[in-house]
Amino acid sequence: MAKIIKERIPTPERSVDERVKSFAEVNLGYTFELAQKEAARCIQCPYDFAPCIKGCPVHINIPAFISKIKEGDIKEALRIIWNDNTLPAITGRVCPQEDQCEGACVVGKVGTAVNIGKLERFVADYAREQGIDKELLEEELKKIEPKDGKIAIVGSGPAGLTAAGELAKMGYKVTIFEALHLPGGVLIYGIPEFRLPKEILKVELEKLKKLGVEVKTDYLVGRTVTLEELCEEYDAVFIGTGAGTPKLLNLPGILLDRIYSANEFLTRVNLMKAYQFPEYDTPIGVGKKTIVIGAGNTAMDAARSALRLGSDVTIAYRRGKEDMTARIEEIHHAEEEGVKFEFFLNPVEFIGNENHKVKAVKFEKMKPLEEKDKRGKRKIVGTGEYVTLEADTVIIAIGLEPNKIITESKGLKVNPNGTLVVDETLMTSIPGVFAGGDAIRGEATVILAMGDGKRAAESIHRYIESKKGA
Amino acid sequence: MQIEITPSVKNLGQKNLGGVVMYRITDKKDLSPIDYFIEVEAPHVAKAWKPGQFVIFITHEKGERIPMSVYKAEDGKIGMFIRKLGKTTLELYHEFDVGDTLWSITGPLGKAIEVKDYGNVVFASDAVCGHAENHATLKAMKEAGNYTISIQSFEDKENVYPEKFLAKSVADEYYLTTQDGSMGIKGDFLDVIKGLIENDKVDIIFAGGNLGTLAQLAELTRPYGIPTITTIRQIMVDGTGMCGSCRILYDGKIRFACRDGPMFDAHKVDWEDVIRRGKRFLELEKRARERYLQRLNEKHGKEVF
Repeated sequence: MAKIIKERIPTPERSVDERVKSFAEVNLGYTFELAQKEAARCIQCPYDFAPCIKGCPVHINIPAFISKIKEGDIKEALRIIWNDNTLPAITGRVCPQEDQCEGACVVGKVGTAVNIGKLERFVADYAREQGIDKELLEEELKKIEPKDGKIAIVGSGPAGLTAAGELAKMGYKVTIFEALHLPGGVLIYGIPEFRLPKEILKVELEKLKKLGVEVKTDYLVGRTVTLEELCEEYDAVFIGTGAGTPKLLNLPGILLDRIYSANEFLTRVNLMKAYQFPEYDTPIGVGKKTIVIGAGNTAMDAARSALRLGSDVTIAYRRGKEDMTARIEEIHHAEEEGVKFEFFLNPVEFIGNENHKVKAVKFEKMKPLEEKDKRGKRKIVGTGEYVTLEADTVIIAIGLEPNKIITESKGLKVNPNGTLVVDETLMTSIPGVFAGGDAIRGEATVILAMGDGKRAAESIHRYIESKKGA
Repeated sequence: MQIEITPSVKNLGQKNLGGVVMYRITDKKDLSPIDYFIEVEAPHVAKAWKPGQFVIFITHEKGERIPMSVYKAEDGKIGMFIRKLGKTTLELYHEFDVGDTLWSITGPLGKAIEVKDYGNVVFASDAVCGHAENHATLKAMKEAGNYTISIQSFEDKENVYPEKFLAKSVADEYYLTTQDGSMGIKGDFLDVIKGLIENDKVDIIFAGGNLGTLAQLAELTRPYGIPTITTIRQIMVDGTGMCGSCRILYDGKIRFACRDGPMFDAHKVDWEDVIRRGKRFLELEKRARERYLQRLNEKHGKEVF
């Protein structure tokens, strides 16, 4: 066997100087040559053993697609990925690979793991640039045999888009209902341009359109049309409404000006393009010193967006550095770009000035215990010591929960945390209504939502078949 | 990050994947020097809308999401009363005509008012959105068998709407007031309500309009324990409960005006914060408005507004 190349081939990135002034994508991805070099680092574990496949929530045959990159056959590489994941340009960019495929990679035991995420992204990007994805799509289209059955998909985020794509490929007539004016869910309102260019999402949506999927925007299910009405008109419904409601800290001063939920901040910036105000009409007020509370991907996205809008940014987290939940790449990029970090600080009060604008945040200093919580993180306790940090803008990124508008629908059973109750086929308490993604998980990842979308599509197919048999 | 400003803001293309959605403007009329009526085709919204609920529209691709009360929803069309206040509402007035299309309308949003037989129902309004709701709510209340009392307050005679747009036709008892007394009763609706309460004519009050007057109304009715339901207008982004921009303190708890409202029990609202939070983007809004007006006046070669 050839010697293992311990260090991964780096991907080109935009310089920090350029980045902090622009919303353009930071990571530029592999070129064909670099991708082939990186692909050569994969030692091609056999299918039944490959830890990367087991580590992938949708079990992409990773060694197989990497081997096709080595051979230079990108179309085959894409075909292999598409078997399990129809949105590789997106997951290649946003998956927490270090906890999944790359975290399990054998090469990673002796050096750095194969850069599976960037290779996946390369396949998708290269295929798109060369028109290879269109060829493959044409082949898929020829295979589609139209079936009787109309499916309604509620929400056009990762779960909904995946379910829609899979069902359309099976031959069903699919309609997506989206509450906002543009489809994409968290991919369009949440994840910033510098991490996931909207152009990529647009291409994926075009693909769905080719598959015959209809998207109805400006439709809030639960208000514009009820779930009951959808059930009457469609043979099955899939709910992929995500976790769209921000958790806010009910602390003194929460109603002060310039305190945003990360969702409000990111929606203004990403979806409404407030960073181009006044060319775009939606405003955003960002001061000179921003504190972001929380340390997940959303917190990093908000922090780096605020930085690009000209603010000095500090992330304040109640736990320690190693407990941060964001992707390593995002933390790394945030650090490079000059975002500061403060650990073991738990907010207790927002302090305002005479104009009711926030001017500081009071925190209690926390300390870690040896004992771990359910998620394997060290528990923390207050020390009784307090510290006040100045801030004229605060962004709260402590998490999200499912939106009540859909979960309050008649007949839907809901868990105490607001997520929908589903059985092993992802069917909710209403027969024929399925759900997946953050609507059932609370807060998880794009790839898990997509995995659910795919599983639900299969369940919906079986459900419709069984009804026909009855 | 500079982008080109498109000369025309009118929407002629299709936006939605798969199907063409055209929110065509079917009617547009002046209500007063500052308010106008606009009617737009939006069958999916019109079909589901109930009094109390609102819509969000976007004029064009670079537009903002603007929450708006509804005057009526009929024949697949949504009628709204709009004040020429900020950049978007000015632009909609000056650059969109019958036949043009809006980029987006979502709704209905928020919770509907419970329409039932309350007895004597008052709706009081002193601003554009409130006047729309006044008509819409009392129409439904009258149909439900209530005795309807409408009070509409305007600044002066010049600002009073044409008769067909007043809530007179749906009111069993109607009061019009002007601040300067140039038409109807002198004063605001609070004075009229005081009289009605003294005569024991009020079972429930609904109101919409200026937040300051609504806050006063809450204090007026509190000692009498008269149910008082008011529209809480707040700055919103998505209007679906996703961003928390419109959060208010209600009975000591955080509530979202878009999802949990927009009508709330006025006696449980923290009015001070509600009034203040409406001004969060004042400086930026002013900048956008001035920038737009400059462009508009340059285009016409004279001061248009």
